[in-house]
Amino acid sequence: MARRTTTSFVAVVLLGLVAAAATVSTSGRKFYDDDPIARVPESKSAVNAKELDIDLFFEYAFNLFVNASKTPSNTPAGNINTIDEVPDSSWFTNRIGSTPMTAAALAKGPNSDTPPAPEKWTLLREKSAGTNPGFTARDANGQTWFLQFDTPDFPEAGTAAVEINTKLFWALGYNQVETFVTSFDRSKVDIDSKATVKRPNGSRTPFTEDDITRVLERAARNADGTYRASAGRLLPGKVIGSFRYQGMRSDDPNDLVPHEDRRELRALRVFGAWTNLVDLKAGNTLDTLVEENGRVLVKHYLQDVGSSLGMANNEHEWDMGWEYYYDAPATKKRFLTYGFALSPWQTVPYTEYPSVHIFEGDAFDPTTWKPQTPVRAYIEMRADDAFWAARKVMAFTDELIRAAVHTGQFSDSAAEAHLASVLIKRRDKIGQAYLPAINPVVDPRLEANGALSFANAAVDPGFSEAPRAYRAQWFQFDNATGATRPIGDTEGAAPSMRAPGGLPGETGAYVEIDIAADSPAHPSWSHPVKTYFRRVADSWKLVGLERLP
Amino acid sequence: MRFRSTLALSLLASFALAAPVGAQDQPTAPEPTSRTALIEQAEQEKFDKLAPAAPGKAEAYVARISDAFLSGNMHLHAFWQNAYSGGGFTIGAGYLTYVSPYNLIDFRGSITGSGYKRLETEFIAPELFGRRGRLSVLGGWREATQVNFFGLGQTTKQEALTNYGFTQPYLSANLEVFPTRKLLTIGGGVELSQWRQEAGSGNSPSVENKYTPETLPGLGAQPVYLHTQATVGLDSRPARGYTRRGGYYAVTVHDYHDKDNAFGFNQVDYTAIQHIPILREAWVLAFRAYAQTTYDKSGQAVPFFLMPSFSGGSDLRAYDSWRLKDLNSLLLQGEWRATVNRFLEMALFYDAGKVAHQRSDLDLHGMKSDYGIGFRFHGPISTPLRIELAFGNEGYVLNFSASQVF
Repeated sequence: MARRTTTSFVAVVLLGLVAAAATVSTSGRKFYDDDPIARVPESKSAVNAKELDIDLFFEYAFNLFVNASKTPSNTPAGNINTIDEVPDSSWFTNRIGSTPMTAAALAKGPNSDTPPAPEKWTLLREKSAGTNPGFTARDANGQTWFLQFDTPDFPEAGTAAVEINTKLFWALGYNQVETFVTSFDRSKVDIDSKATVKRPNGSRTPFTEDDITRVLERAARNADGTYRASAGRLLPGKVIGSFRYQGMRSDDPNDLVPHEDRRELRALRVFGAWTNLVDLKAGNTLDTLVEENGRVLVKHYLQDVGSSLGMANNEHEWDMGWEYYYDAPATKKRFLTYGFALSPWQTVPYTEYPSVHIFEGDAFDPTTWKPQTPVRAYIEMRADDAFWAARKVMAFTDELIRAAVHTGQFSDSAAEAHLASVLIKRRDKIGQAYLPAINPVVDPRLEANGALSFANAAVDPGFSEAPRAYRAQWFQFDNATGATRPIGDTEGAAPSMRAPGGLPGETGAYVEIDIAADSPAHPSWSHPVKTYFRRVADSWKLVGLERLP
Repeated sequence: MRFRSTLALSLLASFALAAPVGAQDQPTAPEPTSRTALIEQAEQEKFDKLAPAAPGKAEAYVARISDAFLSGNMHLHAFWQNAYSGGGFTIGAGYLTYVSPYNLIDFRGSITGSGYKRLETEFIAPELFGRRGRLSVLGGWREATQVNFFGLGQTTKQEALTNYGFTQPYLSANLEVFPTRKLLTIGGGVELSQWRQEAGSGNSPSVENKYTPETLPGLGAQPVYLHTQATVGLDSRPARGYTRRGGYYAVTVHDYHDKDNAFGFNQVDYTAIQHIPILREAWVLAFRAYAQTTYDKSGQAVPFFLMPSFSGGSDLRAYDSWRLKDLNSLLLQGEWRATVNRFLEMALFYDAGKVAHQRSDLDLHGMKSDYGIGFRFHGPISTPLRIELAFGNEGYVLNFSASQVF
């Protein structure tokens, strides 16, 4: 308790210092010439970053009994640029929603053109994490892969989930492991002479034929005796453990934003809800040391995104996605009513396919979706983070979703169609929940002739009625001091309007345009989106966008 | 934490708010001229203060414990099993060590407030015959100081309570085989033991003060038994220590061979357990029927202390331990369990039991019954703590147990 108090005190003092400095500064400028940055520089070498083990039990307990009771701090995301976007970094690469994406590109995802060669597998060691059976093995080309099989009750489901979500999360911007659906034929398997398995007594002893049998007994077997597997390629670079969803690595000079304040990690609350990625934990992430442009950087991966979609790991985990492992309100409710206060997961109907299991979109509510345990970034998501994430999700067209689902290589086309339709439904639920929640003005453009146009992310896809009117307040903006001088107000029913007279024309001039909407159904839209443009040559460049304070 | 807070604010300013926060605090640093330079300056500041990434003290402590569990190096463990039912609150400990990658030996002991003691060593080979068999070899000694005895039959009175003590060295081997790895179970075992009766040390009269060897078979006897048994069953439960579905149906045949041919007998146990989940396991209806029947060998008697009975904690839960005893017994139990969360369930239960001298008298008439409520703290496959409050027509009992009821 004492430590927390001290930390809070330091934070308050520092906040005061920041405010004071900003007030008295005469040289502080709001925008630099390179704003908005598209990529974080990550200029320092992290060559000395060492492997860090994050204990699973501690993380679970901390999430369930500390994080779950935290109220969101309402801290703005710390890694956004001046136009409210996440710049590229070792964590994230802008893809869908930022650049055009074809179905073929999505289906390829992070994969190279060299899938595993399953003509021969050489087993190296057992699979040590996760519920699905598997091995670490070398293929006929000498490449190392992490093989994961389906469980007998749900053939194709687990491997399909890995394939599909790898593509979706790659498109969303996360670093993903290359994965392919492959086959495993026991008659074409060798055991590496140095392969070992960890035994219950803690020792590692040679890998045996019975160890193969032990794993394959838990795997879905094809009619021809082979096994379908998901193969994840060994990552390049040196693995140094996992990343936490809060705090920072103290040995990575480029890790400057507390992870709970990273927008792309907060956004996993939305992306996780869409794909039912319930197993948010450090153990499903990887940090690797890689050399890029002459520097050694820590590259951050989301891995094992297969605990998702229809939750085909266990036949009876009905509460996944609906409750934390330990959920105090639900516990209290059931305890006091002897279980008669039913939770949604106890009654929601499912259309079940063995290769999908339980995944639906009708009862789905993205605002109440829950992972197994609440990581801190999940707690800290704000409305503007969710808005940003929802726009990413809405950027997936039906065609793109079907293309991603097709990579699951289902033998049952009905199951494939069902899964795609559920993802489409859940996508729309996300858009409906988060896009109208705050002022949805997006993509503002100011032409050289003073024509202002923008889009409405809630109205355009049909989630909301158009507002009665848009109102814009125009200011000259002094970038050196932050001072503003009114130019005039404009109003119109359409998302476009002409600038009032008096717009500056000299290169380097700034204007601030605060755009609000008058919608009785959405009072929050009256809070303006502040946009900032800098005059460059014969045009105006968007350099700033503030959706929420 | 101080370092982190500073950086958080610095970055917030660097990326979005554009206030050059460090300008006045660090007058020697040149003012960045670009956003990129501003961030690079922050990266340089952190670079100058890099520290090894390490877990906090609490996490490191938890990690050590979990590593010990997962690495097979967790040798010490608690042991809550007492020497014999009715001994009261038990404390105990064990030392477990592997003798091969899978096989282990467990040395353990326990003692209760009433002086029940148990010391034993068990060797377990859990993965025989291609993971189709499990062998247990157990040797030990136990002492019970005040075992309840209310007389024989269904109509005995509480006031008839006497007590006795015994010590017993034992050596046994049990082999359980799962030929298909699922459902079918076959088991067999052999045990060599000696029952040495002693006067009871409880508050009630010692049994020899009220009965004689002529009125109570086996009183004062010290038989040496070679006990063999065989079981065949169908087990569809996901786990024995905790389950919400599946069933178990089994028959066990026992032969108690007395070295002196005085107290030998046969016994057959019938078990039927079924768990019926309702509404995605929101509730579970659980039922158990358990019958024990004994068969005397010509000229030999079934000793009173080995007659079928109800031990209390997991059968007739509102009654004293060993409240009913006779040559045959029938127990019927029903529970309505409610899932509270993944680790806690509640249960409303009803138990009914009957003992009879004749097997033909094992019917539903005149059964003693109780009801109550229970709370079970459990994991996916075990029940570390079960707390139950049971009410019957002889009062109420608060039970604590470290195992599933059935």
